[in-house]
Amino acid sequence: MNLSTAASFEAADSESTIEEQLNRLLTENGPALLRLASSYTNTSSDRDDLFQDIAIALWKGLPRFRGECSERTFLFRVAHNRAIDFLRRHRAPTSPIDAESPIRDARPNPETGLAQEQQGERLRRAIHRLPLPYRQVITLTLEEMSYSEIAAILGVTETNVGVRLNRARQLLRQLLEKSK
Amino acid sequence: MNLDAELELWREQWQASSEAPVLTDLRKRVARQSLYMRIVLIAEILVTLVIGGGTMLLAMRNPQPAMLILAAATWLFITAAWIFGLSNRKAAWSPAAATNSAFLDISIRRCRANLRSVTFGAILYAVEMTFCLSWIHHESGSLSSTLIGVIALVTLIFATVLIWYRRKKRFDLSYLLNVHRDLTAE
Repeated sequence: MNLSTAASFEAADSESTIEEQLNRLLTENGPALLRLASSYTNTSSDRDDLFQDIAIALWKGLPRFRGECSERTFLFRVAHNRAIDFLRRHRAPTSPIDAESPIRDARPNPETGLAQEQQGERLRRAIHRLPLPYRQVITLTLEEMSYSEIAAILGVTETNVGVRLNRARQLLRQLLEKSK
Repeated sequence: MNLDAELELWREQWQASSEAPVLTDLRKRVARQSLYMRIVLIAEILVTLVIGGGTMLLAMRNPQPAMLILAAATWLFITAAWIFGLSNRKAAWSPAAATNSAFLDISIRRCRANLRSVTFGAILYAVEMTFCLSWIHHESGSLSSTLIGVIALVTLIFATVLIWYRRKKRFDLSYLLNVHRDLTAE
C-alpha cells in the first residue's frame, strides 16, 4: 500500500468516526435541537431548514472540537450561532412584547383532554414572543442546562444568565397570564 | 406557585414536544438513484434487444436496401446511445467511501450526468426523427397528416417531460452544491 492510499484510508476512517459521532449527537439531542430551532422560526419548513443548517455546521465543526467543553455545550453553542445567523439571513421577526396583544390560543376549549398539549403550545408561543436574549436563556434552561453551561454557550457571565433568566421568567409569566 | 415548581412545570410542557427531526438522508437518496439507474439499464437492454433485434430480423427476412439502411441506422443510434450512456454513468455507480461527503459527491455527479443525458436525449431524438421521417418519405413518397400529427404530439410530450426533468435536476443540483459549499466553506 503506498503512502497516498494509506492517507486516504486514514482520512476515510476519521470521517466515518466523525459521522458516527454526529449521528449519535443528533439521535440523542435531535428533539431538543428541533425545539430550539422552533423557538427561532415561525414555520415548520423554516424550522427544518434551520435544523439542517445546524446539522451541517456540526458536521463541519466536529473535527475541530477538542473537548474544551462538554459535547452538549458544544452542540448547543453551534446550534445557537447557526440560529442567530439564520435570523440575520431570514430577518425572521422577533415578536416584541405588546401588552395590548395577548397570545391567543387558536384551539378550542382548553378543558378538553387536549389541555396539556394546549398548555405546551401556549408556552411555546409565549417563548417565541420573548426578546432574543431572554428567549435564548429560557430555552436553554428548559433543556436542563446549568448557568455555567448557558454562560459558555452564549458567551456571557453566569451573573448575566441569572439576570436574564429572572427577567425572562417575569415576562413569560405575564404573557401566559394574558393568554388565559 | 413555588418558583422551582413553576420552572419544572414549564420544563415538562416544553419537553413534551419530542418530535424527532428528519434530516435529508443522502444515503437513501443515493440508494433510490442506484435502483433507478439499474431500472434504466434494464430498459436500455430491452430496447436494444426489441428494436435492434426487430429491425435486424426485418432486414434478414427482406434484404432490400431500404430495410438494410433502416437496420444499420437503428444500430448506429443504439450504439451511440450505449457509448454515451456508459461513459456518462462511468464513476456514478457507487460512492468512493461510505461517508456523507462521498454520498454528496456521487449525488452531484449523478445530477450532472442526468443533465448531460437530457441534452444528449434531445439531440438524439431530433436526429432519429429526421431520419425516420426521411426514410418514410423515401419509401412511401409522402407523409400523411395523421403521421405528422402523431409525431408532433409525441414530440410535444417528449419535450415537456425533458423540460420538467431538466428543471428538477437543476434544482436538485443547486441544492446539493449549496450543501457542498456550506461544507467546504471556511
